[in-house]
Amino acid sequence: MEQEILKLQGQAEEQLATVENGEQLEEFRIRFLGRKGQFGSLMKELANVPVEDKPRLGQMANKAKKEIEGLYTEKQQKFAEGSTRATGKSGQIDLTLPGRRPQNGKLHPVTQIMNEVCAIFESLGFSVAEGPDVEHDHYNFEALNIPAHHPARDMHDTFYVSDSILLRTHTSPMQARIMEKQQPPLRVIAPGKVYRCDSDITHTPMFHQVEGFLVDKHVSFADLKGVLTTFTQKMFEKDLALRFRPSFFPFTEPSAEVDIACVICGGSGCRVCKRTGWLEILGAGMIDPEVFKMVGYDPEIYSGFAFGLGIERIAMLKYGIDDIRLYYENDLRFLSQF
Amino acid sequence: MKFTLSWLKEYVDTGDLSPEALADHLTMLGLEVDGVTEVFPDLKSLKTAKVLSVEPHPNAETLHLCEVAVGEDTYSIVCGAPNVRKDLITAIALPGTVMPDGTKIKPSKVRGITSNGMLCSERELGLSDSHTGIMELPADLEHGLPLRKVLGLDDLQIEVDLTPNRPDCASVIGIAREVAGITRTPLTLPVGEVSMERGSCEFKVDIEDSEQCPRYAARLIKGVTIAPSPWWVRKRLLSIGLRPINNVVDITNLVMMEYGQPLHAFDYDTLEGKQILVRSPRSNETTFTTLDGVERSLEADMLLICDAAQPVAVAGVMGGLNSEVTATTTNILLESACFNPISIRRTARRLNLPSEASYRFERGVDPDGCITAMERAVSLLSEVAGGTAVPGGVDLYGGIRPLNSLTLRISRTSALLGIDLDYNKIADVLQSIGIRCIEKDKDTLWVNPPTFRIDIEREVDLVEEVARLIGYNNIPTSLPTVSLSYPEQDPQRRLRAQTATLLTGMGFSEAINYSFVTEKHLSLMRLAEDDLRRRQVTLLNPLSEEQSVMRTMLLPALLENLKRNINFQKNSVKLFEMGKVFTPQGENEQPIEKERLVGILSGRRNGEASSLHFNDENVDILDAKGNLEQILETLRLQGCGSIDLVQFRIPEQGEVDPYSDSSQCLLLDTEKGILGQLARLQPEVARNFGIKQEIFFFDLDLELLCSLQAIPKKFSSLPVFPAVKRDIALLVPEDVKAGDLLKTIRASKEKFIEHCEIFDVYQGKPLEKGMKSIAISMTYRSPSKTLTEKNVTKSHTKIIQQLTSQFNGSLREG
Repeated sequence: MEQEILKLQGQAEEQLATVENGEQLEEFRIRFLGRKGQFGSLMKELANVPVEDKPRLGQMANKAKKEIEGLYTEKQQKFAEGSTRATGKSGQIDLTLPGRRPQNGKLHPVTQIMNEVCAIFESLGFSVAEGPDVEHDHYNFEALNIPAHHPARDMHDTFYVSDSILLRTHTSPMQARIMEKQQPPLRVIAPGKVYRCDSDITHTPMFHQVEGFLVDKHVSFADLKGVLTTFTQKMFEKDLALRFRPSFFPFTEPSAEVDIACVICGGSGCRVCKRTGWLEILGAGMIDPEVFKMVGYDPEIYSGFAFGLGIERIAMLKYGIDDIRLYYENDLRFLSQF
Repeated sequence: MKFTLSWLKEYVDTGDLSPEALADHLTMLGLEVDGVTEVFPDLKSLKTAKVLSVEPHPNAETLHLCEVAVGEDTYSIVCGAPNVRKDLITAIALPGTVMPDGTKIKPSKVRGITSNGMLCSERELGLSDSHTGIMELPADLEHGLPLRKVLGLDDLQIEVDLTPNRPDCASVIGIAREVAGITRTPLTLPVGEVSMERGSCEFKVDIEDSEQCPRYAARLIKGVTIAPSPWWVRKRLLSIGLRPINNVVDITNLVMMEYGQPLHAFDYDTLEGKQILVRSPRSNETTFTTLDGVERSLEADMLLICDAAQPVAVAGVMGGLNSEVTATTTNILLESACFNPISIRRTARRLNLPSEASYRFERGVDPDGCITAMERAVSLLSEVAGGTAVPGGVDLYGGIRPLNSLTLRISRTSALLGIDLDYNKIADVLQSIGIRCIEKDKDTLWVNPPTFRIDIEREVDLVEEVARLIGYNNIPTSLPTVSLSYPEQDPQRRLRAQTATLLTGMGFSEAINYSFVTEKHLSLMRLAEDDLRRRQVTLLNPLSEEQSVMRTMLLPALLENLKRNINFQKNSVKLFEMGKVFTPQGENEQPIEKERLVGILSGRRNGEASSLHFNDENVDILDAKGNLEQILETLRLQGCGSIDLVQFRIPEQGEVDPYSDSSQCLLLDTEKGILGQLARLQPEVARNFGIKQEIFFFDLDLELLCSLQAIPKKFSSLPVFPAVKRDIALLVPEDVKAGDLLKTIRASKEKFIEHCEIFDVYQGKPLEKGMKSIAISMTYRSPSKTLTEKNVTKSHTKIIQQLTSQFNGSLREG
């Protein structure tokens, strides 16, 4: 009996060594390890050996079967991994091959920046509101203290749909729309598309802005500076130098433009910052009392600030994009970079 | 607004400020300096030259051979100018010089003889239109000197980007006033406070409506000689990019730049009836020829300057050809007026005639400054053009305004700016730029803004002045103290973000296209004439036909994106866009804006992934379907329990869009209407966009999607007892739909069915023609016991019977 066990084990090992593919392996399994296989028969025969030999021979047969099963599993795994491309003769996987990667797409860089901007202000407790792209002259201009024939309209090359309907030239109309419906305190940002009939190397006729405003009692210009400084430093992930300089918007007074130290040259002067060392990124100011009056807020009680920023501009600075036309061509070679 | 540093220094001492520091100060005062550039940089390498000798050119009658001295060197030059002569001091461009028009000077043969440079005319140097000969410089000038320096052009031009609220700074004196505030030095003005010389007046002025013309002043200057201006006048104008015309016109321009007051000179002898009438056009006056020779159509609400018979100028915009100052003019009427800004703006716009004058009038000219500027011009005219001013003139000031008197609260100013201020500080900065103020009480100042600061009308305007003059960067930084509140989130925004994330995970990149498109898209998409999407919002002033209507579909632009990518050898494309489509309402109503989500798929399923790991099969309609199923399941609208809130349905005839392949199209039904569709794009439409490969797309209404109530997440206990799997291979006629088989199984009342799914569909040999095999994997499980063979077989057999009888099929053997 002992001989038979050893013989079977030897035969099995011998045959397994010649197995070269899954089919042969399966044949091997059926012949030796299957329910009606040779190890099965061997076990049945063990029933007939004398009782005193049973434990010893039983153990021996089990051990032999286990060993063959082990070799079988090893071989099986080898075949399973075994796209033979990946494993050489040695069975070693070539780890320098590229990983097997699911293909994913990318969000548009404008959306990525927009999400970042919104996330920063949402963390500061601002809520997000969206409004119509096609807007009334009233909300785009009149309610923002820009009457017809005001020279400030020159700053907005407007697409018109009719005498009183236009494509919004900024996201600021949301100031008026929200303030006329809600009472202070207010903390709101309004992201969206805006349109200007202007197209050249530095302008696309459509772009994205985020408008933001905060209205409450005792809000000051210093607060405006604080909030925008916080925003800028979070957005550019460093303590960038910042400067506020006087400007003019009919719906804010005082009005400011906000510059950051050039992210390209660090302030020493380069082509991007036109050698000034500064980059303009935001327009802002204290909301003009006229705007408050039009929505029925008492400017003696409430004060507030508003700001607006261009998303494409920030994306250009943050990612170093040098041609704005790329934004709307949706070339995958562009989109996949971000 | 452009000026030169030397011009500015005539009125204010800039002390030891470098030009860069000066520019920086101006910028920080809100007068943003756009650039500090050298005047006539093109002339940098030009030099003065002295003609030593002139010989005739042997091969050309009109040319001369000259020897020319430039410092220590002499050059042989071929010159065709009639005025070239021995000892003439002129300008030379030596080899290597790039001329203002871009030509590069190099030694070249002129009719067989080499010329080592060029003697230049004023036109060639961009200094005037004169091209009758080479430039003639004073005979006592040395040769070899830099021409810019000799001409006084070694100056810096500073350009300020003015905001619309500061018309007072559209003048060199206005800028100087701000600089005086920086350097705290006094202003030196060319003329002080003046009043007009008294005297009788031989001409008459009338204003029809003083609302339109608050002030009109005029004086008569007789005996002028029209000629080119002296160099100092021309130099000033040239340095800021203005073209010199003649001495009279140049002086009006010079004074306008100096004081910000536009002036106009009429040829007095052309004025009918020695009379000026400021009025709107008569009904028969429909056209008028401006001095640029263009005939303009007039409209009833424009403002004209007329003589007794006819219009002679469009007020504040441009003079008329009929009264223009010409070479033969001897008597001029000088106008210094103030017009209604809105009227000027409207007129300049409608005539498409923006000018330096209209720029200033439409922003607001200080009516109090009319006389000073006029007197300055009168004195310069008599100096430069030799005229004699007739004593007396006209000054109609119907629109005189009361002096604006404002109160400024110190506490209010401090609170709004967030900085502690006191009377001294505020008064100090305001007075530095000429704003007078006095202390009224402990908290209040009386302030009289000067008349030229037409932008200061309210207390808050003074607050801004204070902030500006203190310097925004000297105001501290703080964070607002606000009460805590939860920022409400817009559910649609959240949905968009979630869906976008899912789509990128599935290999889609996000596209953003313009909201305006070409109308042609709709025909390319084969939309029927009565398709509602043909009703579009049209722009009145589009930049091009390509961007002339607001989109009603997102798909066409995505197809263009696909085409572009294919052109750049990216053939495997998955793109999506979320954006608005626009449906017009009434004429002066806003259109309806609806958010849609559109995705397109084309090319390889695994995109650019290496075929080392992935097969290179192309996408098909089931990819589009699978992507949507996954989104809908994640949004918990489908496959999350017994009810599917969104169901795919094969469309009826007439429900298929003309651009969708009716054999590969599914609609998404909801109880609130059709959510959208997915389909294969009609190959013909693809070809219309220049695309030959197969394209699949989906198009969903995001608002409807957002309005669906997601199935709440709910836990169900994990099964305790094992499942039993059994497979069915069913042979059915080929038109049987696999989905119907699953539906039948799911609807069956058989016990223990936990799950069923299709794992193979096969058609072809050795199957009989017209038949196909569908393999279904069944999972049985009981929540309360381990199933026996008997339990399962009973259910399984019943299911098989039901399927074979209902679908006319049989169990496939083997």
